[in-house]
Amino acid sequence: MSPKVVLLAAGTVLGFGGIAAAHHSNAAYDADHPQTMEGTVKQVNWTNPHITFVIEKDAKGGESASTWVFEVSSPGVLTRSGWTKRSLQPGDHAVFRYLPLRDGNPGGFLQKVTLPSGQDLTYSLTPDEQ
Amino acid sequence: MPERERSVLVNKAVRKFAIVCCAAAAVGLFVVSQARAEPPDLSGVWVPDVKDQKRQETANAPPWKKDILPQVEHLVAEEKAGRPFLVLSHCLPHGMPSWMLITHNAFELLTTPGRVTMLGEVDGNRMRRVYMDGRPHPEDPDLTLHGHSIGHWDGETLVIDTTAIVPQAYIAISEAVGIPNNGDMHVVERIHLAKPDVLYDDLEITAPKVLDATWKTTRIFRRYPARHYEITEGECEQEDLLPGKDQFGNDIFVANPQGQYGSVHTNK
Repeated sequence: MSPKVVLLAAGTVLGFGGIAAAHHSNAAYDADHPQTMEGTVKQVNWTNPHITFVIEKDAKGGESASTWVFEVSSPGVLTRSGWTKRSLQPGDHAVFRYLPLRDGNPGGFLQKVTLPSGQDLTYSLTPDEQ
Repeated sequence: MPERERSVLVNKAVRKFAIVCCAAAAVGLFVVSQARAEPPDLSGVWVPDVKDQKRQETANAPPWKKDILPQVEHLVAEEKAGRPFLVLSHCLPHGMPSWMLITHNAFELLTTPGRVTMLGEVDGNRMRRVYMDGRPHPEDPDLTLHGHSIGHWDGETLVIDTTAIVPQAYIAISEAVGIPNNGDMHVVERIHLAKPDVLYDDLEITAPKVLDATWKTTRIFRRYPARHYEITEGECEQEDLLPGKDQFGNDIFVANPQGQYGSVHTNK
């Protein structure tokens, strides 16, 4: 992804992230308490209606590793936000910002991924206004 | 010829020339205005205005029948409580009219002689064919999720009439709130450009089993020609499959093992 695309994606998320979070039928997720974790991608399901990433959360501070599922928007929305199917691949280690499942299960609605290079992967449902 | 007489003649010639020019310009204007009467070019990739969809959820509710309303209120309450009913939890297309009402994905509109085609951004069958060749609806159609659509131009507006939609197709106001139309639904759309790259779809949805009256609502789509967007493949069924190998080493898709609460069906 070009730096320009990253900036664009980051900008649009700042602008419309609230709407995206509020509307994406993600009422099962707690939008008031976004969380961050580090982990390694195990599986990428690049499908509709929503993409999912299976993540192995790092063992940390006495807590053992665990498997999490992060749901995120669609291939179309992420592609228009500058992602490709290869932006996040099995084996990639990253920081994941997400809205946790309200029922306490190990899953969340993915908001942002920060790669070791410092690059942020974000997305927006609505491109910039014309 | 005296100087004054020659001058008068020249003036007359200039005047005649001017009249001819004016006439030619008028004809030109007429030709241009005729050209403007041609239907606008609606082809391209159209992205829904999701912010406006959100506004419409509360700004213009469908006139639900009295016995349907409690179901809708229940779905709204469930979503507020963090237990959303997921209209799109299966791999089926949205169907009509929900595709136009609640999609978060783009569609591509193609115009060819006698036909308008709308391609969805998901499986290959997420497609609307609008026949512009003057044919009527079939007398005994097979019902489908997208129904049977015929269209015509009313000036610069594309008018689409859709019937033969399966009763299971939702009338949805969001991804968490929708009611099956339960049969006999009729959808009329008037599609026009509000600005060169802003498309309005004015829908009139008549569904006598669940609505008291015809519901009129509008959805907005935008195209971004400078960005060269394409519609993206995203096969829903693929979420149950992973890339793998067969015994010959061929690249195939294999079953995706499900986790504790489904490795992929996180909310189903």
